[in-house]
Amino acid sequence: MGSFPPYVRVLWACSALLQLIALILLFAKGGFRKLPFFTVYVALNLCQVAFLVCVYSIWGSDSPRGTTLAWCSECVTLLAQALATTEILKVTLRPYQGIWGLVWRALAFTSTFVVLIVALTTRGAWVSAGWFELNRGYHLTFAAAVIACLLLFRYYSVQVPAAYKMILGGFCLYSCTEILIHTVMQSLAKKAFYAYEPIWQSAPTVSFIVVLFIWVAALWKPLPIEAPEAAPPSDSIYQRLSPEINERLRELNEKLLRLWRLEARPQ
Amino acid sequence: MNFPLLLLFGFAVLLMLLLAWVLRDPRKLPQPDVDLGYAEDLDRRHVTYFPQVRQAMAAEDSAFLASRASQALTRRVQRERRKIALVYLSCLRGDFLKLWRLARVLASMAPQVGAAQELERLQLALAFSWRYEMIRMKFLLGFAPVPELGSLSEVVSRLSIRLETTMKDIGERAALAAKLTSSLDGRGLDTP
Repeated sequence: MGSFPPYVRVLWACSALLQLIALILLFAKGGFRKLPFFTVYVALNLCQVAFLVCVYSIWGSDSPRGTTLAWCSECVTLLAQALATTEILKVTLRPYQGIWGLVWRALAFTSTFVVLIVALTTRGAWVSAGWFELNRGYHLTFAAAVIACLLLFRYYSVQVPAAYKMILGGFCLYSCTEILIHTVMQSLAKKAFYAYEPIWQSAPTVSFIVVLFIWVAALWKPLPIEAPEAAPPSDSIYQRLSPEINERLRELNEKLLRLWRLEARPQ
Repeated sequence: MNFPLLLLFGFAVLLMLLLAWVLRDPRKLPQPDVDLGYAEDLDRRHVTYFPQVRQAMAAEDSAFLASRASQALTRRVQRERRKIALVYLSCLRGDFLKLWRLARVLASMAPQVGAAQELERLQLALAFSWRYEMIRMKFLLGFAPVPELGSLSEVVSRLSIRLETTMKDIGERAALAAKLTSSLDGRGLDTP
């Protein structure tokens, strides 16, 4: 731990403090009952700080063993992050069963697509920077999938409570900044990595601190009470009316096309 | 920075922009429930004036005017017709958006949503938006001759009548579904 400059240690302390506040808020306001996975995620992050302090104190931040252990702990928190996000999406979409069916398909499709892109763009880099690429690939997939879900929410006018939106937005913001930092650092690493090492050490922590501020603001008030689930209308209504509406929309499209042709006709 | 890194960088920036767009201004999001009665009223109002509009826009009227009136007046009438064509266009778009929104509300309430149906609707919306903007731009910039609005109004009129019927039908079905749902929910407790 001594190998890190003082400002990095200060940033870590700030981050730990904010995580502690978020955890206390989750328990004090009863949020842990509504979002158990998110609570576990925050708790795991806090544990990770303590774990990394121990690891870096014993083996140092440059030793292969220390690095491997640090990345392994990161894998655990990233898994918890994915579970926490899915939990929030599910809670939000509880009254919208049909949309949830679409969302998980969108999640699967987007994730597969992004994983393929990542695999293609990082060919040959696995030997030298496996953990690094895995981490960036994960964040890329995660951010794309969550944003695809948020787009679907917007498309179907699904009302997402502000607190959940802030938590999801925070996750995405962190993932996007991680991708940017990783990408910029990767290009700099080829020239003079050590000159930019302070940025590498502090930038992700700073972005995480910003996200933690957003989460603390979101958790400050008790999480919204779930609306009682109304009995959905019969499935046959959608099955019958949806093709009918599509047919009408197609007709309107044809009218527009006809207008185009009329407009092209000389007077 | 090599090409793959640039691609990743661009993708990350795009994601951030999308995130900002998705999270902005939640108050302006349309409400999930559609006022079907209001929609019906609007349609009915449009339909009421179609015969008058059709008469005013008839091609014969134009020809008559061109043979009798001054060039300035003819040009003015052309301008007016162009404006009316734009209004027609926006009415057509209004009808489309109304139905599109209704379909989304229907999907959001459905216990099971067909991905193919939704995808088809999205494609239709994209195609419609593209064509609408193209035609509108051509009208606005004056690149296009004014269409035969007489025949066009007939097309829209027939369409609006059919839309009105459809909307009414959907409204009645939605109301029936809501009634059924509430009666199933209440289990008759709300009855005296």
